[in-house]
Amino acid sequence: MDFEFAPQEQAVLKEVRAFLKSEITPELKAESLAIGYCYGGELGRKFVHKFAANRWLVPNWPEKYGGMGASAMLTFAIKEELAYTMPLIFVAAHMAGPTILHFGSEEIKKEWLLPIARGEVEFALGYTEPWAGSDLSALKIDAVDQSDHFLLNGQKTFNTHTHVADYHWLATITDPDAKRYQNMSMMIVDLKTPGITIRPMITMAGWQTNEVFYDNVKVPKKCLVGDLNQGFYYLMAALDYERMFPLGHYRRLFDEIVQYTRDTQVNGQPLSRDPLIRQKMAQLSIELEANKLIFFRLAHIIDKGKIPNYETSMQKLFATELAQKIANTGMDVLGLYAQLKKGSQHAALQGQIEHHYRWSVVETIYAGTSEIQRNIMALRGLKLPSK
Amino acid sequence: MDYEFSKTQKILKDEAHRFLAKECPSDVVREMAEDEIGYSRDMWQKMAELDWMGIMVPEQYDGMGGSFLDMTALLSEMGYHCMQGPYFATVVMGGLCILEAANDTQKADILPPVCRGERLLSVAWVESDGTYNPEGISMTAELQGDEYLLNGTKLFVPYAHVADRLVCATRTGQRTDDNHSGITLFVVNTRQPGISIEPLITMAGDKQSAVNFKNVRVSKDNLLGQLDQGWGVLKKVLLMAAVAKCAEMIGGAQKAMDMAVPYAKGREQFGRPVGAFQAVQHHCANMLTYSDTLKFMAYQAAWRISERLPFEKEASMCKAWGSDAYRRLVALAHQVVGGMGFMEEYDLQLYFKHAKAAEQVLGDADFHRELVAQEMQM
Repeated sequence: MDFEFAPQEQAVLKEVRAFLKSEITPELKAESLAIGYCYGGELGRKFVHKFAANRWLVPNWPEKYGGMGASAMLTFAIKEELAYTMPLIFVAAHMAGPTILHFGSEEIKKEWLLPIARGEVEFALGYTEPWAGSDLSALKIDAVDQSDHFLLNGQKTFNTHTHVADYHWLATITDPDAKRYQNMSMMIVDLKTPGITIRPMITMAGWQTNEVFYDNVKVPKKCLVGDLNQGFYYLMAALDYERMFPLGHYRRLFDEIVQYTRDTQVNGQPLSRDPLIRQKMAQLSIELEANKLIFFRLAHIIDKGKIPNYETSMQKLFATELAQKIANTGMDVLGLYAQLKKGSQHAALQGQIEHHYRWSVVETIYAGTSEIQRNIMALRGLKLPSK
Repeated sequence: MDYEFSKTQKILKDEAHRFLAKECPSDVVREMAEDEIGYSRDMWQKMAELDWMGIMVPEQYDGMGGSFLDMTALLSEMGYHCMQGPYFATVVMGGLCILEAANDTQKADILPPVCRGERLLSVAWVESDGTYNPEGISMTAELQGDEYLLNGTKLFVPYAHVADRLVCATRTGQRTDDNHSGITLFVVNTRQPGISIEPLITMAGDKQSAVNFKNVRVSKDNLLGQLDQGWGVLKKVLLMAAVAKCAEMIGGAQKAMDMAVPYAKGREQFGRPVGAFQAVQHHCANMLTYSDTLKFMAYQAAWRISERLPFEKEASMCKAWGSDAYRRLVALAHQVVGGMGFMEEYDLQLYFKHAKAAEQVLGDADFHRELVAQEMQM
């Protein structure tokens, strides 16, 4: 056993930290916050290009596809560092990319992996439909084979950052008569294609997600990922990558709450001397440690050449429930001040706590609700019967 | 990072599993809980022959020279089989005190017979306030010529009734503000005049005693470590032993799951296995999370101890988490198994009791969360 990073991993992480310290400016943070921490703003794109130029976006990809042939461990550690400083979600690099790497033809790998690795293109997830949330096998969006292209008609919903991304990582139905799981295909669709309409849906966290309408959209055949009608399995693989959840962002929030307890005097002593506060803060820090261990376990499994199974669902579940606990404990600790929004007089911690309290609601919902994660753990991990 | 045991550790664990499956089935566990002595000397000797007594003892003292992590592999199997007896008191608590604080002469005197299975140890630490805090240590050791005179009462001393030597925490000096200074450790022969041992009757059937010391004379040579500096040793042993206890919990948690999950697959209600109901599935999924997190928290802390890295924070995190996780896991197992699990004849009850005992010993979750808060400089 060994619970520290290898020396070569530590050396890269040191460089990454220094880079993030000098490159992440308040302007960049403000821009990211304004668009829901999504990739896509002008400063954000510039930052991502520079970051990716070091091959840090996908260190564990082979060199010929823009990686450095490094460990998944290093990749996970960099994701965690990045999330601690500024949470950027990379759909192309961290969800679709590994799926393409695993299932894609050489041709599609050549077309997509290098630009993804360089941070030049970003995808948006295109799974959910009004009638297909937890049950993605119930998709309806039609992709009809028209010999030289597919013709797409249908509707997606909750497709976050379609308004800032370049391409749609899209799950479609290519054989409506086939049985479940054998009827779906994955495509990479240019979001600027005629016939696509994106309408904003505003979340209670203040940022935007979208519904996306496909109205006779012509999609070239070369946009198909892997084999026709095998898309459900690719989607499940990409979902698993999405579920590997770097909690760095909430870890930083936690650190700020701890500092707040040290700096805030109540009844003539710092809040941090209050035994109840100490218990709560210690408990969160313990759970952060447990999460760290099950997060890097995923990298360990991948580096051993295996595919994580129930372990991914466990980590996603644990991390997102912890995210909510951190936000809620922040509300408790700040008390009446916690409700004050950014910009209000007397707002504490720049109003971050109430924002995260609202925001964290969605963490246990997307990429499979907590209930779906528990189902997966029970069925895949413990082999409990499905009926 | 590497989450796996080495090849030799895996072999050790597998051997322990086979040995204990044969020697320590649950009817033996029940028998030992009722037995006055509380362990089988025959099995003890066999364990000594497997080098388990000296697993962490350097070879120069007839030990196996293994690491703390090696020992956790063994302890998790003992937890799996709910093995009670003086092993933890002798090898973990007593052994660690000796390894940490004894001089060469004392080690050469005490450890080889321990490794041969001929001598049992324990630690007399907690007193009437029932905590592991330094302020609770009031038993006096007064210097009279070349000897110390020990007076006081220790409680919750594990397997004192069979121990040959007790490591005793006494107060020799003035109390300082933090109570850390002025505590001294002695190794005391339990056959010394003035010692009386009274059994306590415990929920889990493990043996604990109240030990009274009335003018017990102990030679200066039996002072362990430095005069007045015993707390440093105790604190370190507390944290290491807490991690060792979590290693036991790993096995116990695994066994509870090994009972509940197959039960859920086999037991039918409403025309289908109860494990096909999501309410039951989610209980099982939560058990899996408790089990995995407990495991890695304990392995990480044990690895740090083995590597001589700072481990204080990780150790307390592990005991705080483990104490809650193991109890909750067993509670979920009870919920899955239903009425059958409430039966004396069903083994889950053994683990229910073990979980609470393991939670309370060596500092419960609240106690260790407070230590974590201190480590966080709060």
